[in-house]
Amino acid sequence: MRRVFRLRLGRATLAREVDDELAFHLQMRAEKLVTGGMISEEARREALRQFGDIESVRRSCLTIDQQRERAMSVSDILSELRQDAVYAVRMLHRNLGFTAVIVGTLALGIGANTAIFTLIDAVLLRKLPVEAPDRLVAVGDPGRPGGVSMNPGPQGDLLSYNAYQRLRERAGLLTGLLASGRAEPSVLIEKTAGAEAEHPSGRFVSGNYFKVLGVPAARGRTFDDAEDRVIGAAPVVMISDGYWTSRFARDPAVIGRSIVVDGTPMSIIGVTPPTFTGDVVGRPTDIWLPLTMQSTLMPNRPWLSDPSVHWLLLLGRMAPGVSLDQARATLESQVRQANADNGSQGASEKDLREMKIYVSSGAKGFSRMRGAYELPLLTLMVGVALLMLIICANVANLLLARAIARGREMGVRLAIGAGRFRLVRQLLTESVLLALLGATAGLGLAWWGSHVLLALAADGAPAIALDVRLDAPVLAFTVALSALAVGAFGLMPALRSSRVDLAQALRAGARSVNSNALGARGQRMPMGRLLIAGQVALSLVLLVGAALLVRSLSSVEQADTGLDRDHLLIVELDALAAGYRGDRLASLTQELSERFSRLPGVAAVAFSENGIFSGTESMNSFSVPGFVARTREDSVAATDRISPGYVTAIGGHLLRGREFTAQDAGHAPRVVILNETMAQHYFPGTNPIGATMRFDDTTAAEIVGVVASIKDHDLEGAPIRRFYSPYLQFGAGEPGSLRFEIRASGNPADLVMPVRQQIKALDPSLLIGGIDPLSLLMRQSVREDRLLARLASGFGVLALLLAAVGLYGVMTYAITRRTGEIGLRVALGAQRGDVIAMVVRDALGLVLLGLVIGLPLALASARLLRSQLHGIEPSDPVSIAIALVVLLASAIVAAFLPALRAARVEPLVALRQE
Amino acid sequence: MIDPEGGLLRGTLDVLILKSLSWGPRHGYAVAEWLRGATDGELLLEEGPLYTALHRLERKGWLASEWGFSENNRKAKYYELTRAGRQQLRAEVSSWERYVRAVSAALGAAAPKPA
Repeated sequence: MRRVFRLRLGRATLAREVDDELAFHLQMRAEKLVTGGMISEEARREALRQFGDIESVRRSCLTIDQQRERAMSVSDILSELRQDAVYAVRMLHRNLGFTAVIVGTLALGIGANTAIFTLIDAVLLRKLPVEAPDRLVAVGDPGRPGGVSMNPGPQGDLLSYNAYQRLRERAGLLTGLLASGRAEPSVLIEKTAGAEAEHPSGRFVSGNYFKVLGVPAARGRTFDDAEDRVIGAAPVVMISDGYWTSRFARDPAVIGRSIVVDGTPMSIIGVTPPTFTGDVVGRPTDIWLPLTMQSTLMPNRPWLSDPSVHWLLLLGRMAPGVSLDQARATLESQVRQANADNGSQGASEKDLREMKIYVSSGAKGFSRMRGAYELPLLTLMVGVALLMLIICANVANLLLARAIARGREMGVRLAIGAGRFRLVRQLLTESVLLALLGATAGLGLAWWGSHVLLALAADGAPAIALDVRLDAPVLAFTVALSALAVGAFGLMPALRSSRVDLAQALRAGARSVNSNALGARGQRMPMGRLLIAGQVALSLVLLVGAALLVRSLSSVEQADTGLDRDHLLIVELDALAAGYRGDRLASLTQELSERFSRLPGVAAVAFSENGIFSGTESMNSFSVPGFVARTREDSVAATDRISPGYVTAIGGHLLRGREFTAQDAGHAPRVVILNETMAQHYFPGTNPIGATMRFDDTTAAEIVGVVASIKDHDLEGAPIRRFYSPYLQFGAGEPGSLRFEIRASGNPADLVMPVRQQIKALDPSLLIGGIDPLSLLMRQSVREDRLLARLASGFGVLALLLAAVGLYGVMTYAITRRTGEIGLRVALGAQRGDVIAMVVRDALGLVLLGLVIGLPLALASARLLRSQLHGIEPSDPVSIAIALVVLLASAIVAAFLPALRAARVEPLVALRQE
Repeated sequence: MIDPEGGLLRGTLDVLILKSLSWGPRHGYAVAEWLRGATDGELLLEEGPLYTALHRLERKGWLASEWGFSENNRKAKYYELTRAGRQQLRAEVSSWERYVRAVSAALGAAAPKPA
């Protein structure tokens, strides 16, 4: 009497059954009593009496029955699930190859998606590991943690030290306001002769930094307000757990130890906890320096005293009950006020009113990467999502093909009474199992993949130090993705194959059921073929995107930069940290220039302050007599200080006038050279040579030359307005840094060692910031584009492969089904070529349908890429043509193999099979 | 085996129900009648508790039930021993016999000889 498929009984049914059972008993008993001579009324009362408390019996029977129902339905479900799972495992095990292919492709898709999401999590989503990160408010542009801007006007994306002090005094809605800014310390850990300085990643921070963030010291103590009181009086540093481990081997005696930072002895007072790596995401801080030490450590850079130097970002902790909107309103007006109080030179009411002020949530800290990688990462996410769709289509197709092969099995199971729901559930269990296996393998792939991505993104430079890990949001993402995938690839074949036409399926004999039996009645396009067309369409979208990005990158990389990009070596020296000032700096440049020039293979030597593709840029404001500045941008331009002969040395072209000479030094009359962009802006149609530029009331400079514009910091976009001043003309203040540009006659990389030796020979204490071929620096400047182009190509090729494999599978299957027909055709005299043409034509029909669907999609999505494309339009015909040709070629190859097999069909064998 | 209120101890009722079903499916009333006849009406003073016991034994998995038709063609709920129920009956019977032997041996013993 064991029921295999049973429905759970409701309480009403159970109650009715108990009542019926008890009524039957009472009736029988009463009848017996009547037979014994009682009248019926009395018999009924007597039966009730003999029964006892009927209400309580009824209640306890019902309770017992309900308990039994509950226990049974739970165990029923469990045992059915177990049956399904056991069956699914057996099926998957029996078709190991099939299972491996599906799990492999799913792992690829889930892995790629999870890897990209891991990066999105680390770069865009994760919060700082500090106390209550949501209560932090950021002032300044969070994308410029390394920014320094010299600008006498008002500025809202970075703040001056002066503005910070004013804000801190007034911060009413905040319980604390910290400041942090760029630092590039040169550190000597051992004070022995000949020790090499190192360049840990550093950050100048206010004394309340750790208090406001709520980060305690793991060892020693943190900074406190004492470090903020007097400029230059706090020779102390904090180091990170990572730096303590890598450079001090976790020596407990590190507290109190003295190290030399930029020539100044400073003592280590504390180590941070291992989870805390600073306020800048993607660039963990090794060493924290008190803000008040900036002028001591960086001479000639008056970043504390000069209110026109904007370089600080602020994080405030909101007082309890204060909302971000309240804090924003107050802070915006305070930043405006602080800028006005600065007496911002030349700032009009209008400038102040219109300046953009950045106040946002500080929960995620600061990051240059967030701005730089947000769009590429989201683009990639869309790309891998498309890839996942293609994979789901592929898997669905495989499952569908197998469902057709299993049509008979389904028919039999339906015939012996299995419900359709039960069959769908069975097939879905298999899909869930496949997804589970795929997700597990995919997670492993993702962990590995995200590290590969980081290395790719760094592009030769040390890998970006991002803490990528498979944490809760990532796991949740993977689980959700896998569940969606099951719905996408599992549900449709399951529903389809359970709709088997019983009679057809059973009649079809031991061989597979054809698709007519699988509910394809009256449909001209079977599901599998539609999926192929869909895959082709999605692949086209990915391929067009990839082609556009690759072509954009190559147009950027091959852009005319106006200099000799392949032969320059850029040498960065920390001369100021080594104590070179004034005349000593001048003679150092002279001495090194001569030494470098004498090296074999050196064609020319020049030097400058900011150099080329160094990541350091200066802006300066000025006025041009006779030119009416309409906007603030009209009185600001990029600038650099360069050596005599600089333009020729780096391979630039002088268009008018002259270069600087050795005479343009010291207190000689001030002169400037303009680039062409700037000359055309201020002197359209006239010759600027001999005209003057005014810097303030007392300083003016004569324009002595015009150079063809050089792309010296950014490969993308048009060159910006720029002017050059002589490096050695110290009347305008001494330069803050020194970089040499050495032009090689051969490969500049060959000069790295000789140049290093010359520097060491002249002064072993001189710190080298870097010696790199320009081509490497240029490549690094477009590394986001390179990463995007590479990955998009990779995903494009993967999509292409999957679509080709799918097409191959569908065609092979179609030919197997049509073996008889093909045999008949051959028997009737069709040539092999005819057969091949027939099959290929069939396949191309599918591909063309896919292209017709895909092309508008590709064009629409290309438009989303517009902001990432340089030098080409989103509708670039060459990219689209490349994608189409590649796709068609692969499709023909994929179709040709089954076609060949079809052509080899022996008519007799084929006909006998029918 | 009579409890202070004169009813059956629960374990005894259970084993008697199992016994009554050992010859085949019966409905509750038939079980009650058998109990009455087999024990001279001594054991079951009220019939209600019999049904609570039947449902309890079904929950334990010793009995299975099915609706059927009685001798006089009325809808009735029939109970049947499951395999587990049969095993339980055997176990109960043998432990009951051991118990009875032990108790009767003790009750029938002669007076101990003085040591």
